[in-house]
Order: sequence, then structure tokens, then C-alpha cells
Amino acid sequence: MDHGEHNGNGKQQSWRIPTVNRHKDFAVSGHMVFPRDKTANSECVVAPRKEPPSAAKRLVGKDGKLLGFPVFHDNRTVEEYEGLMPAPEILTLVEVARREIEGLDYAAVMNQLADLGPDGRLLLYKRDGKLLRYELFEDPRICKDIPRGAVIHNLEQKPADVSGWRVHEFVIDPKGCLGEVCTRCSRVCPENAIHLRGVGADSFCEIDPTACKGCFICWVECARKAADCILIDGKVFDSELRAAHFGE
Amino acid sequence: MRLSMAGNTAAAWGFRLSRVQCYPYYPITPSTTCSEQIAAWVGNGDMDGVVINVESEHSAASAVIAAAKSVRAATATSSKGLLYMVEVLENGSGSSLPFTIFVGNRATGAPINIWGDNQDAYAVRDSGLIQIFAANAQEALDAVIQSYRIGEDLTVRQPVLVNLRGFTGTHTYEPVDVPSAADVDSFLPSYLPLEPLFSPDQPVTYNAMLAAYYYRRHKRNQTAALRNASCVTENVGRQFGEKFGRSYGKFDWIGDADADLVVALVGESFGAAETIVSHLQGRKGVGKIAVLRVRLFNPFPAQEIATRIYKANTKAVVVLDEGLPHGDVFPPLALRMAAALQAHLGTQTPRLASVIGGLGGSDIRPDHFQTLFNLAANIADGRPYRREPYWLDIDEDPILLTDEKKVDQKLWKRYGDVWKAQPILDAYHKPLPSTNYEVRIYGRAGQGAITSAVFFTGAGVEQNLWVVTKPTFGSERRGAVVHTDTLIEQGASNKTRAFTARQDLVCIYDDTILTSPTHAPTRDLKPDGTVLVNSSRYSPARIRQLLGLGPKASVFIVPASRIAHELQLGSFFNMVMLGAMHCVCPLVDFGAAMTYYEKNAPRPKEANLEAIRRGYQETTDKELPAVELPAVDARAEEYFRWRPEEESLEEEMLRSLETLRG
Ligand code: SF4
Ligand code: SF4
Repeated sequence: MDHGEHNGNGKQQSWRIPTVNRHKDFAVSGHMVFPRDKTANSECVVAPRKEPPSAAKRLVGKDGKLLGFPVFHDNRTVEEYEGLMPAPEILTLVEVARREIEGLDYAAVMNQLADLGPDGRLLLYKRDGKLLRYELFEDPRICKDIPRGAVIHNLEQKPADVSGWRVHEFVIDPKGCLGEVCTRCSRVCPENAIHLRGVGADSFCEIDPTACKGCFICWVECARKAADCILIDGKVFDSELRAAHFGE
Repeated sequence: MRLSMAGNTAAAWGFRLSRVQCYPYYPITPSTTCSEQIAAWVGNGDMDGVVINVESEHSAASAVIAAAKSVRAATATSSKGLLYMVEVLENGSGSSLPFTIFVGNRATGAPINIWGDNQDAYAVRDSGLIQIFAANAQEALDAVIQSYRIGEDLTVRQPVLVNLRGFTGTHTYEPVDVPSAADVDSFLPSYLPLEPLFSPDQPVTYNAMLAAYYYRRHKRNQTAALRNASCVTENVGRQFGEKFGRSYGKFDWIGDADADLVVALVGESFGAAETIVSHLQGRKGVGKIAVLRVRLFNPFPAQEIATRIYKANTKAVVVLDEGLPHGDVFPPLALRMAAALQAHLGTQTPRLASVIGGLGGSDIRPDHFQTLFNLAANIADGRPYRREPYWLDIDEDPILLTDEKKVDQKLWKRYGDVWKAQPILDAYHKPLPSTNYEVRIYGRAGQGAITSAVFFTGAGVEQNLWVVTKPTFGSERRGAVVHTDTLIEQGASNKTRAFTARQDLVCIYDDTILTSPTHAPTRDLKPDGTVLVNSSRYSPARIRQLLGLGPKASVFIVPASRIAHELQLGSFFNMVMLGAMHCVCPLVDFGAAMTYYEKNAPRPKEANLEAIRRGYQETTDKELPAVELPAVDARAEEYFRWRPEEESLEEEMLRSLETLRG
């Protein structure tokens, strides 16, 4: 890019990379890019850290340029992303009639919705509780049971009973389980079938029998495998069963 | 604000004014400069968005689709780049996500060809994207802005491809009206994602697997949404016209309202076709003619086109495609036209012939359309014609028979009778008068000939003239002979883009080109034209003799290399030539142009401005006093010996790695 990283008198120049994130943007200084708050004085630029923590093996070229890609370890915890966008609401005539919506010209909207017929829809877009925008349109779908773009609304999904998929019963023995200090099995379970029960030393993990598909992953990954914490069909997972399932 | 810019820059302006928030791209000729422009704007803060440098077009398409779930997104690509995107593109249309891809249309090879045709856009016609074909830079800018209104319409929500022909569209410098940001903001509201990817209240999953029952129901919905794009395009084009004074529809019909003979096409060649229609219209012996230019290629406005043709009571339609049929009955546009007419008009369908032309950057000149209208007239007359595509500019397989000896024997057996029954109608071939002032610059690649033509255009546009510069790009290395054409419109302003290839002024940047037998630079000079040569070696009389010029032609010389040398500009004498061009071309006022150059001249500014002034003053049609030629220019020598400096950096890295490892 043609912004000089150094200006004439050798001082480092900085500039801003704008982003669509409402809260963060980036400041560029020399070769480095730093995230920072957008609310901060937009002209002020975070100074680059003098010595990167892992600078031990930096390769420095003849003209002082950094060669290769140094790795920087950032010890900060992952921040919660705040620039989340609320989804707009889409309502039918009946739904509009039942709702009270601030900042909406009811008479006009209802008239236009009625004109559009049964597929007339009102789109409401709110941010921080305030109505920012609304639009009326005719739902183009022919098959109304499929959402636009065939997306799946995760919260509207009912968990399916997959117990019929498995041939063995998986049960965690609460006595052996390490509980909240571990939860390894619940993190590896592909069906999110394992949940933590209780608190502190009494806590243990439990398998939801309708959600478990019997994939063996928790058994393989259990931190206390040697202690036979996860029972299969009420038994310790024996070598015969193992041979049958893993071809050993 | 009217500026001189190339098609790529115009598209970039479209994205900038549409406030695109995310722009992932992978560069590919000829659309690269669009992406480069956006990256530069985002880098210097003129545009508030994110540019992602991805590692392939496949990733660019993936990223643009992912981004479109939450923000307004765009990218640009061409040719194989678009083909590389095909795998993911349907995820965009299938997921109902609006975004825009600007395509600098280019041949898809093999063999490799970087120049324009529509094969890439045709190849993705089955990916469910809305496709708009722009005919010039202005339309590209306008179409990009409209593409977001169309794609984001709540009854549509589909991605859009904005097409502009590579080089002749993307690299032609022409006047473009750039609307103000405030006007565009009031026309195009900010993006509203329907199902944002990271919404805490309504988390969604995109692209989950659907079995047959749900899949076909979803595809039914998707098709219904795409169909809506047709009338939305019409409405948006009309509203755009109300706001900005330039209206657009699904297609244009230029010529007689009740035309018997229609030539149908898409894209940039519309400019040349328009010129021919106004040239031939109403002439004795010429039927009623019109050009049907399809702007909205997908969804194809079949019924509207059929209705229009039915109303005009058209007898013959000739469809020009810049792409191949690849074994199909016709190439894509002809196929769509034929299907549309047959489906809607049945027995009333006019006769239709398909022509393939403009492949891989082949010229589509005004005189080609004279041939096409001649063909249409023959067909309307009931003469026999081919049911498979004709080809433009193939001597062994001509459209109309001019030289029987050249025709391929196999084809003669098959089509000899058709050729013999198709007369050449002189009325259609009246040569197009060259009323505009045309300039051609010959230089060696690396001498900055295109740069000076671009500056010249910028100065002309600033003075409200209609100036168009069409550079030619090749695979030339430094030192190869290149040329660029500039047109200054005279008389009534109909914003022409049609070059007649007969020049009023030929500028020769290097006097070694004078004697090059392969170039014959003044072959197409008008009899009373002007030649301007950078030379301190030859006298005007000698140049006249070398080029074999007629008595009415005038010859000027300017010792540009010497002036540049004296100004310590090394071998960069293009600014001297720019000044000299002003001296011999009366149409662009030099004083006003100078204020433009003062603002825009490249560095070193003062020296370049002085170069322009001296070029203007020292141009002469007299013999130059003998001067000692400057010694070999050390800077120029160094310039031609230039190697990428990265090479040394790489060596340096390797060396320091070795040191580190001991
Ligand atoms: S067997 Fe598989 S599905 Fe069942 S609880 Fe263990 S990891 Fe989850
Ligand atoms: S991995 Fe084993 S020990 Fe850890 S929580 Fe799960 S069952 Fe308990």
C-alpha cells in the first residue's frame, strides 16, 4: 500500500482500519495491527508493544525488517463478541393485529398488508428495543413450511430421539466420574447428549438416553478410562466388545 | 460529478457508493483493478469496510457468501476465477443470500486467453444467480448500485452477477457520472440481513441436509424468488431513472418500433450496434431494423421479449452470442431467445439465426452489424439459412459469400446452396462515415503511451467533451509495440463508443516504429490526417517519405526523448508527447487541460508539467536543428534491466535462516 510505514523523519506512522464491528476497529502501526475500542478517541492510536513476548527467535534482515512470521502469544481471555445483530421479525396480518408495535402507522400498514393478500408480510427491524425500519412485502415462497434459504432455526428444533440408532446402552458411573473439573465427555459428545449434574465434588456427568446414538466417543475419550467410568450395557467395556467394534 | 474512468473503476465506485461492508477477492485479469481500487479505498479510509485477501476464487466466493449472511458483501472476478467459484455459488442462491459479483467477462480457454467474451457468465447461467449485462462503464456503476436493491428485495433475496466485457468494457476509459453518496444512500437503504449468522435471539443453521421432499419444496421456493427478480429489476431500473436520470429496463429496443429485422445481443457490443442502427435506419433499400439488447440475462424476460417481438411483427431475428454452444443447438442467448419465442408465440415465431462472434477479444465492429442486418434481411425474404450457428470473421466460413475460393470445401458441400442464395445487399453496407476525431498512439510497452492517453481523456472529460480511450492489451513484454485508440466525439452528443478505426491523428512514440514493416502505423490515417512523431533523427519530409503519406496529410515532430532527458525524466517522455498531442489536436483546450494536469500529474510533478509545456511548445513541422544525440540513458538502461526486488529479500531470508540454524 502506498501509505508509507515510515514518514520522512523516520517516525512511525499509524492509521486506522475501519471495520463493521460496532465496538472494535484496528490500528496499524508499523508492521503491526492492534484491535481497539471504537469508542476510544478515534485519532489516538494504541502504541505497539515494544517487545513481543515470543521475540526470542526473531529473524532480523539487513534493513531491520522482520523476516518470516513471528508468533505472538496473547494471554488475554477471549472476549465476548458484542457486535451481534438481532434478526428482523416477519409477521403476518393476524400477528400484526395481535401485537402492539411502537412507532408503526397501524392503519396504513394493515391496509397495505390486506392489499397484499394472505402472503402479505411485515418485516420489523428493531435495535436496542427501538423500531428502526419496517417493510411490507409478499412472501415469495410457494411451500411455506420451508424457511427462506432453507435455514434451520436452531431454537425451534425439537431434539430428536435417536436411541433407536444404538445397539448398546451407555451409562456413566457417578462414583467414578470426576464431574465438573473434567466434563471431557460432554465436550466431545457429537450429540450433546452428556450433561453435568450437581455441583462441586458431588457433581457428575449423565448421559441422556434419548440423545445418545452410541458412537463410543465418550468412552474412548473419558479421562478415567482406566477406572471404567463409562459402562456399556452395565458392563466394563471388555476386549471382546472392543474387537467387535474396532476390528482389533 | 463526471469523471474519466475505466469500467473496473466504475464498478468499484458502484461498490463504494453502495457501502459494501465486506469485500473478499482474489485478483484475476481483467477485473483486478476493480478489487485493487476497493482495497486502496479501504486502506486509506475512504471506504468503511473489510477487504479479505483470500487464497483463491473458491475462497472468495465462500467468504462473500458467508459475509452476506450478516453484511453487504461483494467481490469481482473473471473467466476461470468465476468457474472456480461455481462449486460454492449455488450455496449463495440456495441459501437466499444477496450479494454482488462484478465479472469482467473473459474467455475461458483453453488455450489461455485473457480477453473478453461472455463464456464465463454463460458457464454459470445455471447457478441461480441474477445476471445483468452492462454495456459500458456508466451502466456498470449503475447496475452495481441497482444490483443491491434487486438482490436484497424481500421478494427476491438472491445473488447478482454484474457483467461487463473484459478490456473493451473494463479497461476503456470513458466519461462516467458518479452520483453523490447522499443520493445513493436515499436510493439504497442499508443492508438488512434476514437470518444473520450470529444472532443471539435466533441462532440459525445454514445449508443443513435436506432430503428429497424438503429439497424439492425448497427449490420451488428458490425458483419463485428468482422469478420475482424480473419485475423487481424493471421497478428498480425505473426508480433509478427517476432519481438519477438514467432509466434501465430488462432489455432495450433501439431502432424502428415495428422492426422487421432484429439483431439481439447482450453487453458491450451494444455500442457498435446502436451506431449502425442510427446509420442505416430509414435508408433506401434498408428494411425496418432494430437492436434488441438484453440487459437482464437471468432470469430471462422471455414473455416480455416475445411480446415485444410479436407487437413489432418481426420477420427475422439474428442473435449474436459471444460464447459457444458446446454441442447445444445454439449458444446460450440464441437458445433462450429461440425458446422464449417458440414457447410464447408458437406458429407466429419469426425466423431465427444464431451468430457466434467476439470470442477471446475478437473485435465486434460496426460493420459486423451491417452483415448481420443483411443476413436478417435475406432471412426475412424467405431465403434459405442455416439452422446451426454462423461465425463472424472466419474466412473459410463466412456469413455472406464474398470470396468463394477461400471457403472450406466440406462446408461448401453442405452450405454452398445457402451461400449462393444469400445476396449481399449493398444498401446495408454503406460505409459508416467517420465523423468523430480519432487518435491512435503507437508506442513500445513500458513507454507510458496508455498513461498519456488516459491523461488526455481525463482532461477532455473535465472540459465536458465526450472522450473515450480504448487501450489494447496483449501479452507484450516491455519493448513490444502497443497501441491505444482515443475518440473525441464531435457534433451531436450521442455518447458513442464506436471506433471506425480511421484516424485523424497518429502519434508515434518511437521513431523505430516508423520503419517497422509489420506495423504500418499510418495505414488507416485519414487523407487529411496528422502524424506526430517523437524523433530528433528524422525530418518531417523524411517521415512523409518513409510512411508514404499523401500531400494532404501533415507531419509534426517533437524531440520528446531529448526533452525528457534534459528534464531528467529518464526515458519517461510520455508527458512530453501529451503536450505535443495538445499542440496538434485542436479539440481539447490546452490551457484548461493544464489546470487538470496541475492537479493530477504524476510524480515528479514539476518536471512532468514542464515536460507537457515544452512538448506543447516544441512541436514543429520544420526540420530540427542538428543536435548531438544524448548519450545512452543510464536510468533507462537500469529501468529495462529491472528485476523484482523480492528476489534479494528471499535470498536474504534464506541466508539468515542458515545463520540461525548454525
Ligand atoms: S456414545 Fe456417543 S452419543 Fe452417546 S453419550 Fe457417548 S459420545 Fe455421546
Ligand atoms: S470424561 Fe469421564 S471422568 Fe470426565 S466427566 Fe466424563 S465420565 Fe466423568
